[in-house]
Amino acid sequence: MTAGRIFTGDELTKDLTLECDVCVVGSGSGGAWTAHELVKQGRSVVMLEEGGYHTRREFDMTEPRAYQHLYQELGNRATDDLSMTILQGKSVGGGTTVNWCSSFRTPERILKHWRERFGIETVSTGVLTPHWEQIERRLHVAEWPLESINANNKVLWDGLGALGYERGLIRRNVNNCLNLGYCGLGCPVDAKQSMLVTVIPDAVEQGLSLYANTAARVLDWDGRRVTAVRAEVLDPVSKKPTGVKVVVKPKVTVVSGGAINSPGLLMRSQLLSEGRVGERTWFHPVMIMMAEFEHEVNAFHGAPQSVYSHHFVDRGPGKMGFFLEVPPVQPMLAATVATGSGLDTLELMTKLKHLQVMLAIHVDGLLPDEEGGTVRLREGSQSRYSIKYAFTPAHWEAFRTACKEMAKLQFAAGAKMVRSLHLAPVTLKSAADLDRLDAAAWAPVQVRVATAHQMGGCAMGKDPSSSVVDPHLKYHTLDNLFVVDGSVLPTSLGVNPQETIFGLARWAAGHIGQAV
Amino acid sequence: MKMYLPPPGTKPTRRGFLKKGLLGGALLALGSGAFLFTRKSVLVEAPADGLSVLTEREFAVLTALSYRLIPRREGFPGVEVVQVARACDRILSLVDVTALTEMKQLLLLFENALPNFLFGRRASTFSTMSTDDQDAVLAEWQTSRLTVRRTGYTALRGLVMAGYFASDTTWAGMGYPGPHAGIHDANAPVWKGGGADRPLGNGTWRAPAAPTVDGGTP
Repeated sequence: MTAGRIFTGDELTKDLTLECDVCVVGSGSGGAWTAHELVKQGRSVVMLEEGGYHTRREFDMTEPRAYQHLYQELGNRATDDLSMTILQGKSVGGGTTVNWCSSFRTPERILKHWRERFGIETVSTGVLTPHWEQIERRLHVAEWPLESINANNKVLWDGLGALGYERGLIRRNVNNCLNLGYCGLGCPVDAKQSMLVTVIPDAVEQGLSLYANTAARVLDWDGRRVTAVRAEVLDPVSKKPTGVKVVVKPKVTVVSGGAINSPGLLMRSQLLSEGRVGERTWFHPVMIMMAEFEHEVNAFHGAPQSVYSHHFVDRGPGKMGFFLEVPPVQPMLAATVATGSGLDTLELMTKLKHLQVMLAIHVDGLLPDEEGGTVRLREGSQSRYSIKYAFTPAHWEAFRTACKEMAKLQFAAGAKMVRSLHLAPVTLKSAADLDRLDAAAWAPVQVRVATAHQMGGCAMGKDPSSSVVDPHLKYHTLDNLFVVDGSVLPTSLGVNPQETIFGLARWAAGHIGQAV
Repeated sequence: MKMYLPPPGTKPTRRGFLKKGLLGGALLALGSGAFLFTRKSVLVEAPADGLSVLTEREFAVLTALSYRLIPRREGFPGVEVVQVARACDRILSLVDVTALTEMKQLLLLFENALPNFLFGRRASTFSTMSTDDQDAVLAEWQTSRLTVRRTGYTALRGLVMAGYFASDTTWAGMGYPGPHAGIHDANAPVWKGGGADRPLGNGTWRAPAAPTVDGGTP
């Protein structure tokens, strides 16, 4: 076995042509597990990653550095009309480098829906469970102790208890965690068991060649086979192309760029699936409510997500469900997400230590008439896409309901003020004011919507006329192209997606290896 | 196959978030086209180390905007101390060229006297208005019935807030203590494989006698 290597843009000064068994595009939750399993099988694997190789040496827990280097478009990715802000990772490790460690297996009801609606028989709880067990062992996935949750999560826990709602403690992929709270800015002590510090280095030790700062631009294909992956090297600092080209000639190609960049790569390669590539993109749209407490919450410190509730995840036919969690509340993120006038925002920020923030994460893609989001190429750009999202009346009903429920929970836990994130914020002094939310403006760019979970765009399905990849994640009309990431999910999940993608990737690597 | 193909089967979206149908296109024409109702801008002194991507006029608009979006408040440094417009110029130097182009168009649209006249009966550029009028213009964009104007407001507000709150000089006003001291190791080893021994880190980091809460074994 020959040891692999991680190469960065500053080291890549001459054009390269590489031959290998498998080229994996993307180093996040899908690409990392796929590559790891393939090198274990003895395959030669080249991985291309557009983002940089950033490690704990750089993870100083400051926001400007993190957003610049670890997030797509400096954290500014959004739908075209800015109605939804899209937080998405971009570095070696992908989203796992900056996510908040929440680890859930795919709910059975979602897998059942996929089976019944999309004919997906390959992916079941029974099939995925052995993979999840291995993954959870490697990543030290374990429930976070109640006595260690921070005050931000404690508000959610207490509110849920007071109202008698279902509640649980989140399982997190951490090892020797110091409970700092900066997971979203890159873990400074490698306690987070992200792909960056676990599966990728494991794979490199076993032969993986990883090219960071190397953006795959187009797939060459002929007949039913991909013949080459063409990429260009980016300067690690400016992120601009250096002029150096990398061409990979693999036997099999795996696209794992995530739910926006993977459709982008396919579209640039004229692999359109009659327009279905980039369609039906799901975002788990998030509603946010801020509350002020008498006591200090200090939501900028402590494990960001440790409590959840699925009490509203299934609200019955015709209604969109949502689940409840909380985010970290560091100043730059809080101030840019907050709404209201400038002075109003400054006043709010003086209360940062007392602010509690709650999230309602909506389960999109399950209602019959939902179209979701659409990703399209943008003229003049290789990395910025045109993204649209179709909000429906069901969204607005759910958003309003969720904001009311969050406010109820916050007041039940002792909040003295709750405010919405409308452009003109609705401020509530007690639970008796909840109906004021009915009079608020519920329309795009009237209320802040965000997402940290991107899914779909290359949907898996049995029917080639309504999906992009088959139930084994193979592109329908090509024999040696697979897509392995969140983009293959035919709906959203109703849980944080990383472990679903881990499981799919580890499972898919088995038959991908056989395709070499 | 040709590399860098034109977008297949897609409609170009040259003007991105502002070009929303006829009205959006018209608004852009007002901002980035000929100044049909030209008025001067109040230029401000550029940063000593120069501007990265903005013109002096765009910088002046951004400076005026930053003063209104982040008004003076006790406990917080002024925008001139943080050099918000300069910080925004540096942020914009890192974004995709299409996003930069759109932001430049938006700044000029915001400044342009003609749309200000059409929407608010104010026949002057944003940078030359009184602060009361500037606040009124911002409020009009924020509460407009037109999505495109709310989008523009959201974009400008986001940029200015990011430019301001990126500075650690704002932390004291919020009582934010900052990251924990003594944790970050600026000299931590960076492992790239190639047969080298994998150091502590890369998934094997262990805290020296630090308390952990997840049951991990140090």
